[in-house]
Amino acid sequence: MTLILSLAVAVLFGSGAYLMLKADLIRVVVGMVLISNAANLFIMSAGLTTGAAPIHPLSAEGTVADPLVQAMTLTAIVISFGVSALLLSLVYRVYTSHLSLDLDDLAAAEEREEAAIEQDAADERAAIAERAAADGQATADERRVLAGAANRGGDR
Amino acid sequence: MIVLPLGIVWFAAVGLAVLDGRRRAVGVAATIALAAGLAATGWLGVVVLRDGPLETVAGGWPAGVGIALRADALGVLFAGLSLGVLLVALVYELLGGARTRSFPALVLFEAVGLTGLFLTADAFSFYVFFEIAMIAAYVLTGYGERSRQLRAAMIFAVVNLLGSVLFLIAIAALYHVTGSLDMATIASRARIAEANPVMITGAVLFVAFGVKLGLFPFHFWLPAVYTGTRPAVSAILSGALANIGSYGLLRFGAGLFPRELELAAPVLLLLGTASILYGALQAVSRRAPDEVLAYSAIGQVGYVLIALAVGGPVGYAAAILYAVVNAVNKTLLFLAAGLRGWTVGAAFAVGAFSVAGVPPAAGFLGKAALFRTGLAADGTTTEIGLVLLVFLGGALSFVYMFQVYQRRFWAAGDGPPTQPSIATRRALVLALAGLVVALGLWPEPLLAVSARAADALRQGAP
Repeated sequence: MTLILSLAVAVLFGSGAYLMLKADLIRVVVGMVLISNAANLFIMSAGLTTGAAPIHPLSAEGTVADPLVQAMTLTAIVISFGVSALLLSLVYRVYTSHLSLDLDDLAAAEEREEAAIEQDAADERAAIAERAAADGQATADERRVLAGAANRGGDR
Repeated sequence: MIVLPLGIVWFAAVGLAVLDGRRRAVGVAATIALAAGLAATGWLGVVVLRDGPLETVAGGWPAGVGIALRADALGVLFAGLSLGVLLVALVYELLGGARTRSFPALVLFEAVGLTGLFLTADAFSFYVFFEIAMIAAYVLTGYGERSRQLRAAMIFAVVNLLGSVLFLIAIAALYHVTGSLDMATIASRARIAEANPVMITGAVLFVAFGVKLGLFPFHFWLPAVYTGTRPAVSAILSGALANIGSYGLLRFGAGLFPRELELAAPVLLLLGTASILYGALQAVSRRAPDEVLAYSAIGQVGYVLIALAVGGPVGYAAAILYAVVNAVNKTLLFLAAGLRGWTVGAAFAVGAFSVAGVPPAAGFLGKAALFRTGLAADGTTTEIGLVLLVFLGGALSFVYMFQVYQRRFWAAGDGPPTQPSIATRRALVLALAGLVVALGLWPEPLLAVSARAADALRQGAP
């Protein structure tokens, strides 16, 4: 029994971990759900005892099953249910803002954002430098913006 | 009485969750509730320091059957610290106006999770409160709802959920090995239990808390998350949520498994050193302020780990002291880095001095305690190595903090290019900087409390 249970935990955890390494966000969430269920099964198998039902007027003879394990598993199931719902809603928000669920696309979006910020800073610098060349000399105000743009370009 | 700080914040959180947090009145109510919770924790702290630990069993069950809440010096110190950080971050964000309706309630739920976690005496309630705090943090990370924040929230949620599942597995294993969920009983039975299962459970626990803290081999999620979130949320994550990791290592490592902790000391020293050096070197090579701060956070937790590895009254006290000072520093720095203006520059400089460990900032206390810890280590090589490491880490943090300072507050010349930040926010950050200096100038209370907390840990279990 212990062997079967531990094999089941191992398979659940392993497939969950495999799915989490995928680039698709839905698979990542499913992997997370599998892993939390592996944990639930682990709690059950770690404390499983056979015996009478632990309901208040206890039967005098025989052993009583440990109710604590089941209470813990129930709590853990509720928590993992809530967390899965939260993860799915987060995935949905990511989808509405990126129109993709692929991690490669998300990484590309991140690079594009960074590049756009860099480009803005560079454009601002170029425009000021051009105007400065036309006017002969930049005003103090423009020099300050120039310094600020260089600074922000470095920051992001 | 233990229930009081928890109850105030909990009821307020549930009540405010249904209201629109963008309205000013709701924000004020949340601030008042959090301040009341902090005051109750402070009062609890005074009582605990005067009369020793307090214990209540929830629901009127006899002791040993019901779920126990327990307040000792360590728990109260961390609860007060976290509530304080959350209060500052909440006020900071509300001064600019909350952007989503759920923000104030989420901060309160975060406070519930953290307070409960620090004041519980039951390993499974620890997990439950831990999840309350984590779930609130997942949602908070997405606060702002721009694509960057959503990506950060996704990474944060997936990695930390894995950490939580590992923690749950460790709790189940503990129950299997010791047959109890009460921390004191676990501690006494772990001493006589077979060594191997306890050691493996300890290792799983260490990984779980290492993920929360962002220790060296488990740090990969941290920079992406800290740089993606808004300043107030980064401050909450690094100043309040990361306390779970330090507290967990202290409570479970030093409190429940002192024997295993001693056995693992070489590994902890190695990982702590790797964390310090990796964090500091990466921070030196980064340009963006929030990225530097994120890597700095990885480096700073390494010191806590080292102090823990050396152990003994000096080591534990140093670990507690350093964790507290680090949380305050990080809150100050993340909040200050999001603002502009010369007063903020001064506040940031105070935080930078504190991270580098220059007196009179509070960070000096932490560094001094670490030097003392280094000298208490056994073996001359370890002793010299640790002192050198602390010194080198301090020097590197001085370099990277002032690189940030230079770029952020000097390079723009006189008058920053963007509009100056809201005056009240700047005043708040300045007040926090004042607190850091005050802690450095009048360190006795903090030193005494952390020594008491270390005592509470060493007298066996909670």
